[in-house]
Amino acid sequence: MTQGKFDITRYHPKTVYVTYIAATPEQVWQALTDPAFTRQYFGGLSVDVEPRTGGAFRLLYPDGRVHIAGEVIEWSPPRRFACTWVVEGMKEFGELPACLVTYEIERSGESTRLTMTEAHDWDVPKAILAGGAAGWPAILSSLKSVLETGKPLAVAMSMPDGMVEAIQKAVAEKPWLK
Amino acid sequence: MDAVFRALADETRRTLLDRLRAEGGQTLSDLCVRLAMTRQAVSKHLAILEDANLVATVKRGREKLHYLNPVPIHEIADRWIGKFERGRLDALADLKKALEEK
Repeated sequence: MTQGKFDITRYHPKTVYVTYIAATPEQVWQALTDPAFTRQYFGGLSVDVEPRTGGAFRLLYPDGRVHIAGEVIEWSPPRRFACTWVVEGMKEFGELPACLVTYEIERSGESTRLTMTEAHDWDVPKAILAGGAAGWPAILSSLKSVLETGKPLAVAMSMPDGMVEAIQKAVAEKPWLK
Repeated sequence: MDAVFRALADETRRTLLDRLRAEGGQTLSDLCVRLAMTRQAVSKHLAILEDANLVATVKRGREKLHYLNPVPIHEIADRWIGKFERGRLDALADLKKALEEK
């Protein structure tokens, strides 16, 4: 996958989450890109990112196995970080297409506004989107808590009812090819 | 947090959030369908929800797309529902759902 081939306009936002954090944009940027931070609030996952557009992006399990793999689409510290996102570490996900995750960081008065957008280039079933809808609010709340209080919140990383079936159906039928 | 409770203390605004939960990325016109209310009134309700950070928006060309942002509600839940209660409450909610579906 190369930057030249990546057409960002084909991706449509399906979920958009916003949180306000009592921290500087630089601190929020560090929390998103430094494994010492992500390990605390992202279900134990360590981020491993090459700090440049076109670089590799990964989220690793504590034992070093790859959970998420992708490519950095935009690296503009401390304002905008976008990467593609493929679930590698769970066999049910098979060849589901990459989604695009974008973090936008803006100063807002005394605090910083963090917007996370999950965008897709196919008509993703609601049952699959439910996975992100269940996980992201907890992850973002925990990130906020780590920066504001030094302590993470409990983040349960489990899949909602019906998600595995929806993934299996999509992988079998490949609606993104239509 | 006051803004969140104020925003939620209205039936129409809760209906708008339900609609956005069912389908993210709707425009003002989409949301006006089946609401017995002027476009202006719906727009005002959406502004209150946006100020409370319960609705996030994305500009796409000339359109503004609206999304449910549940993060503030999650933060409220975290304040009063701890790590250990959550599992038990989920179990109770599942039980209630299962019994009501019978």
